[in-house]
Amino acid sequence: MAINVSSCFSSVLIRSFIYSDYTQVVWIHKEPEAHYTEYMPSKYYEELEHTADWALHVWGANFEELLRNAAAGMQHLAGIEPSLEDGVTRVFELEAQDREQMLVRWLEELLFHIEARHAAFSVQVIEVTGDRRLVASVVETPASPPKKAIKAVTFHNLRVEDTPRGVEATIVFDV
Amino acid sequence: MITKQAFEQVSPVEWEIPRGFREDMRVPVRVFANSRLLESALKDKSIEQAVNAATLPGLVGRVLVMPDVHQGYGFPIGGVAASKLPDGVISPGAIGYDINCGVRLLASSVSYTEAEPLLKDLASSLYANCPSGVGVKGSVPLDKRQLEEVCRKGAAWAMKNGYGRKEDLERTEEQGGLDGADPSSVGARAVERGRPQLGTLGAGNHFIEVDVIEEIFHPEAASAMGLEQGRLAVQIHCGSRGFGHQICSDYVHEFQSAVQRYGIRLPDRELVCAPLNTPEGRRYLSAMACAANYAFANRQILAHHARRSFEETFAGRLKGWDLHQVYDIAHNMGKIEEHTLDGEKVTVCVHRKGATRAFGPGFAGLPKEYLAIGQPVLVPGSMGTGSWVLLGTERSMAVSFGSTCHGAGRTMSRSQAKRTIRGDQLRQHLEDKGVRVRAGSMPGLAEEAPQAYKDVDAVVEVVVQAGIAAKVARLRPVAVVKG
Repeated sequence: MAINVSSCFSSVLIRSFIYSDYTQVVWIHKEPEAHYTEYMPSKYYEELEHTADWALHVWGANFEELLRNAAAGMQHLAGIEPSLEDGVTRVFELEAQDREQMLVRWLEELLFHIEARHAAFSVQVIEVTGDRRLVASVVETPASPPKKAIKAVTFHNLRVEDTPRGVEATIVFDV
Repeated sequence: MITKQAFEQVSPVEWEIPRGFREDMRVPVRVFANSRLLESALKDKSIEQAVNAATLPGLVGRVLVMPDVHQGYGFPIGGVAASKLPDGVISPGAIGYDINCGVRLLASSVSYTEAEPLLKDLASSLYANCPSGVGVKGSVPLDKRQLEEVCRKGAAWAMKNGYGRKEDLERTEEQGGLDGADPSSVGARAVERGRPQLGTLGAGNHFIEVDVIEEIFHPEAASAMGLEQGRLAVQIHCGSRGFGHQICSDYVHEFQSAVQRYGIRLPDRELVCAPLNTPEGRRYLSAMACAANYAFANRQILAHHARRSFEETFAGRLKGWDLHQVYDIAHNMGKIEEHTLDGEKVTVCVHRKGATRAFGPGFAGLPKEYLAIGQPVLVPGSMGTGSWVLLGTERSMAVSFGSTCHGAGRTMSRSQAKRTIRGDQLRQHLEDKGVRVRAGSMPGLAEEAPQAYKDVDAVVEVVVQAGIAAKVARLRPVAVVKG
C-alpha cells in the first residue's frame, strides 16, 4: 500500500539540486537517530540464470513493494555490506513514462550513489503517483565498495506485470 | 524457441536464418559457427536476440553473429548490424553500455625463460600501478575542462600529458580519437562519474594479462607487429568505465520517447534507437564518440602504467623490457564506414557489440607497416587458456562488414560459475599452471574461470575457416591482474 510521505518530508528538507535533466534528488537533514535497517528477506527476489549478465526476478504485493524489493535484491547481488555507522535520511524524486522506466530509473539512481559514495540504502517509505512520479525516503549508510560491478540496469524484455501474487518483473543487469 | 531447423546451412561454418523466419525481420541473420558452437548458441537466447536485432529500421545486408556469441541484453554479445545512412538508425543498446570496450596489445623483447623468476614481481607491480576494482578512483583525476579535452582528443590527450608515444596513436584504431565528439552531448551525471575514473581497469571481465608468445602462424605479419616467439607481451582489456555506462543509460532513456516520435516498433525496449539523420541520433553518435575517446585515453594511460611496471621489474636485470604497441582495437562501438554491398558502395553505421573490426589489407586508416597485411585483430581468451592475434581479410570486408570475433564467449552463467568454482581454489590451480594471479575479488575471479568460457581455439578456427580472419600468433597467459 502506498503511504503518504509528504508531511514527513517537508519539515526536514534543507536543500535540493538537480543532478541531471530527469532526476531531482532532494537531500534532507541527517538525523542521528536514523539507522540502517536490514534488507528485505531474499524471498522477495531471486537470481535467474543468465549467460553473461545478471537477471533478477522480483515481486511484491504492489508496485511500491516491488521497487523496495528490487533495491534490496540489487544491493544483495552487488555484495554491498553496510557499516554500523549512523545513516542519513534522504529523499529521491523521479519521473518516468511508465512503470518499467520508473523501475530502471529507481535502480539506476541508487546505483549511482552506491558507486559514487560507497553507500547502502534501506528504503523507508516509497510512494508512486500514477506510474509516473516516485518519491522515496531512504536511509543511506556508509558501506564497503561493491564487491561486484553493475554497469547498468537494462530494459531487456522488461515488463512490470500484475499477477495473482501482486506485481512481478525480471530485471537484467549489465555486469 | 529457435532450433537448428530454422537455419539454412551456407557452408560448414555459416548458417542463415532467412528474412521470412519472422514477419518483423528486415534482414536475414547469419551465424558463423561450427555445428557444436551453433548448438551451444541455441542453448540461451543469443539467436533470438539476433533475430530481434534484425528488426531495426534501415538495416542492410545481414545481422551477423560471431562464433563467440552469447546472450546479452537486447542485442547479443558477438553481434554485428549495419544501418544505411541517412535514415538508418543508431541503437545504443546494440553498441553496449561499455562503449569502446576494447583490447590493447603491447609486446616486448623480454624472453619468457629469463623473465620467469621475476614474473611474480611483475604481476604485483602491475596490480599496484594499475588501479582496479569497482568504483575505484584513477591515477589521473580530471576537472570538467580536462574531461572535455579527453572527450575531444582521446588517446592524444593522454600522449600530450606524458602517458604515451606518437607511435602508440598510429597503432590505435582511429588513431585513438573519433571525430565528432561534442562534450555538450554528455549529461552532467556522466561527467561526474567520468572525472575520477580515468586510468582505471574496472572489474568484471576486464584484465591486464602478461602473455608469452607461444606460436607464430604468419611470420611476415608477426614481424611487422614486432611479435617474437618466446617473448613477453601484455594485453589490456577495459573500456570507458562509468562515463560510458552513464552515457549509454542516458540515451537508452531518451530514445524510449524517440522511438514513439519516429513511429519505430521494436520487440525489445533495450533496442531503442533513433534515425541517424535526426537530432537525437546525431547527439548520441556525438556522445558515443566522447565515451569512445575516453576509453582510448584510458587504455593509453594503463599502457603507460604497464610500461612503468616492466621498467620497475626488469630494468638493470634483463634486456628488451621496453613495450611497443602492437595495436588497440574496440569491440563495442558504432562506426560510420563505407562498405560495398551487392556491388554498390554504401555508407553505413556498423554496430559491433562484442565483435571486432577486421579490415583487410589496403585499408587507408592503417599504419604503413600494416597496410600490406591488414588490420591486427586482438582476441583474448579466458585467463587459463590462450589468446590470439589475427588479421582482417578481404573476405571479412565482403561478408561481415569488416568484422570478426572478439573473444572466447561465455558459456556458463556467473551464478553457476560461483556455485561450482571457488575463487581461491581457481587461483591456486592457475598458479600451479604457471599463471600468476592478482585479483581484488575471489568470487569475481570464480565468475571469470576458464570453465565459464567457450574454447577460444575453436572460435578462432571458425573465423579462419570462414575467411573473416587469419591467424598470426597464439599467446599463453603467465600473469593476470583483475579488479
